[in-house]
Amino acid sequence: MPHRHFEALGTTCSLFVAGAPAERLERGEAWVRALQVRLTRFEPDSELSRLNAAAGSWAPISAELEDLLREALRAWELSGGLVNVAVLSAMHAIGYTRSLREGPTAAAALAMPLAPLPEVLEVAPGRARLAPGTGLDLGGLAKGWMADRLAERLGENALANLGGDLAARGGGPEGEGWPVAFGGRTVLLRDQAAATSSTRRRAWDLGGERVHHLIDPRTGAPARGDLGEVSVVARSAVEAEVLAKAALLLGADEAPAYLAGKALAWWLA
Amino acid sequence: MQALVLKAAATLLTLLSAAASAAYVSAHVKNTTAPLHPPVFTAQVHAANVEAVTSTYAS
Repeated sequence: MPHRHFEALGTTCSLFVAGAPAERLERGEAWVRALQVRLTRFEPDSELSRLNAAAGSWAPISAELEDLLREALRAWELSGGLVNVAVLSAMHAIGYTRSLREGPTAAAALAMPLAPLPEVLEVAPGRARLAPGTGLDLGGLAKGWMADRLAERLGENALANLGGDLAARGGGPEGEGWPVAFGGRTVLLRDQAAATSSTRRRAWDLGGERVHHLIDPRTGAPARGDLGEVSVVARSAVEAEVLAKAALLLGADEAPAYLAGKALAWWLA
Repeated sequence: MQALVLKAAATLLTLLSAAASAAYVSAHVKNTTAPLHPPVFTAQVHAANVEAVTSTYAS
């Protein structure tokens, strides 16, 4: 079965197709790399960085970024405000100012609760505006969004896994669904997706305290719940990403009720 | 004399209980990565006894 593994988006990406030419995988990788350049917050001339730098004014945006920003607003609604991409200042506050491969920097500010995303981000056809002093980090949401679109681009029977956010289309190599490891089992995903959110990765020591990248918008600080990791199966990768992150922030008592009726499967750890 | 025996037996019982408890917790160290719950599947997701081609994970 044709497949391709590569490093992008600060993680490992894996693409699979069944019954289709391998050239699609090369084109898929090129698509990921092209979008990565535009959506990263670590490069000052990326499309996202230009939008952040223009906070307070309307800035032109591409169709892809417009779609992703509208998805971010839907994610805020779906999560009851727990998934908020206007998290840039909170990331900077804990020293996550550049790729963690280069290492975190010193703490810059005290944590503050985040403003509701609809009060921070306005999206209109071809343009967007951020409230002054705010900025976006599209992070995991962008990976889920890209996995959904990449699976479509790869064909009718394909799987795109971008750092654990994955989307599966079609019946997979045997026609019963794509076999994917999930919660210690193997599940067969057909036109379904999965994602995992965790406080155990992208974590570092800051002034003697262990911090991680998952910000709780209610405090503006790294989440301190009783869950360390949540995996979710949903109808799309971006939805799975949002549900997993929201469940992680809600904690073990509230997560099952939140996920019931929204997720197709979940695993709390 | 009988009181002394009772006190000694009570002390011995206490020490044995403490030692047994210590042995038990040492042999059952909390696994911080252990799942709180088994995975929950709705009717729309099916588990299978086949090898996975990939997995979801945190990155």
